[in-house]
Amino acid sequence: MEDKELLEKFANPDSRNLAFNQLVRKYQQKVYWHIRKMVIGHDDADDLTQEVFVKVWKNLENFRQDAQLYTWIYRIATNECLSFLSSKKRKFFLPLNDVAAELAEKIDSTPGIDGDEVQLKLQKALLRLPEKQRLVFNMKYYDELKYEEISEILGTSVGALKASYHLAVKKIEEFLKQD
Amino acid sequence: MTNKKQHIRLEDIPKRNIYEVPEGYFDSLPMRVMDRVAAPESAAAAWYTSFWRPLRLAMAPLALLLAFAVVYVLNMQSDSEKHIANLAAVGDKEIVDYLSTYAVLESSDLAEVHSISGQVLPADFLNVSASSAEEELEYARLDTTGL
Repeated sequence: MEDKELLEKFANPDSRNLAFNQLVRKYQQKVYWHIRKMVIGHDDADDLTQEVFVKVWKNLENFRQDAQLYTWIYRIATNECLSFLSSKKRKFFLPLNDVAAELAEKIDSTPGIDGDEVQLKLQKALLRLPEKQRLVFNMKYYDELKYEEISEILGTSVGALKASYHLAVKKIEEFLKQD
Repeated sequence: MTNKKQHIRLEDIPKRNIYEVPEGYFDSLPMRVMDRVAAPESAAAAWYTSFWRPLRLAMAPLALLLAFAVVYVLNMQSDSEKHIANLAAVGDKEIVDYLSTYAVLESSDLAEVHSISGQVLPADFLNVSASSAEEELEYARLDTTGL
């Protein structure tokens, strides 16, 4: 179902629940994987995904249709991730490096992660990046979003995003070179 | 022996998702989300329950307090009724004897007597001799005129 039709059905109280159910089914995987790559653990990703859709439900009536629905949902998911990671730092008084180390440790210890050595190393390299740069990399490399779409989600200029992605790739390749 | 650094380019690494989810996760997620967003109606009920539960606990001491208050008020009423009944049982003569022994007459009492002096009162009501009453009235008149 098209987003426009979903929104029309959501606006009608009789079909609201049905429309929202379809919206969740349509976007759940994109939202979940976007979050999971940022927070690594499934339980945290599950909590945050649900939280994102609860926020979508609460604010969908106020959604201005000049933006695309999925970039709006991505923005909510991105904000949830960043809030979660900064609350983790605040809660345990951790600097950025320690959060990255904790997430890297999760990659090694979590059972639901299955990859060869290079894949695991790539994920650990990603954790070395600043959070916003990691977001840019994930959206460009894995989600294959256009720079214009990422720009809409993060509110950053396309030029800055290109520079950020380019820098991220260089840092990752540098990390992969190390033993 | 040379220590060559292996140069791995990002594009050489196959792009794949290494993370997994529990089986059936995406089948159950929409239902769990719907349960959460449909919660506000049940949240009102939850608020009612959370309000009613402590209130229900407070009901027992409140009921005890109320029962105590009712018993106390009823007891007070029956006490005053008992006093009235006791007083009614005392004879007129005993009251007059008591008053003549212990009561102090004030000018207001005498003024009242003066106001009813014109009326015909039965002698046994006053239980005083005519001459004593006249003396008292004369005294009251002198007292009120300040002489």
